[in-house]
Amino acid sequence: MADQSAPQLSGPPQGRPGGRPSGPGGPGGPHKRGKRSFVRKKKVCRFCVDRVDYIDYKKAEILQPFVQERGKILPRRMTGTCARHQRWLTVAIKRARNIALLPFAAEL
Amino acid sequence: MEERLYDLVFICRPDTPEAEVDKLVAMIEQATSSHGGKIEKTEKWGTRKMAYRVRKQREGYYVYLALRSTQGELIKELERRLKVSDPVIKYMTVRLDEEMKRQQKLVHRRERRAARRPRKAAPSPSGSPEQAAAAS
Repeated sequence: MADQSAPQLSGPPQGRPGGRPSGPGGPGGPHKRGKRSFVRKKKVCRFCVDRVDYIDYKKAEILQPFVQERGKILPRRMTGTCARHQRWLTVAIKRARNIALLPFAAEL
Repeated sequence: MEERLYDLVFICRPDTPEAEVDKLVAMIEQATSSHGGKIEKTEKWGTRKMAYRVRKQREGYYVYLALRSTQGELIKELERRLKVSDPVIKYMTVRLDEEMKRQQKLVHRRERRAARRPRKAAPSPSGSPEQAAAAS
């Protein structure tokens, strides 16, 4: 009985055709770490650090770092802003655009 | 209707004389009071560069007002007047009371949390780092 059950149990992991050689073949962690030589610094939401409750559209100089040179809003992954503040930020930037404090599209 | 808070920003041509701007502000004040609203703040930002051209102008004289009103009609009236007044090249009204309410809520929550934290830390000595630092 034990003889029969053992091959059955060990069979599936080895015989999985599509799967990556997860267990013994690829200790992917250390290998990858070696390739990626730099450690990405964890970005922190600047508004959370400053405990901002309301992002003022009138202060264009605050909004300025969060738009590209051309006037595009920078994504969260670039600036590290948290979801809530990014949401407020977009509203503020759009208002600032409306009153010509920020460009819709800056000419270059 | 409950009271609402609005921001009103308008831009005049840069060559508008100061007196003309003051007249516009006075006009807005008069219209606001006649509708039972009140002006919280008036700021003249002066001439500043605009991010894009508006009516062939690159600069504009910015005026900012914060006002409270219970009547939405007031905003309609103000916008109509700004639209027809010649020196004004751009204007914007934003309703802000809901955002301010949200902000107030956040501030309250933070205060409550800050007030609660020391109480919570008191029974268990390893509660917060501040407590640990104070104890040592």
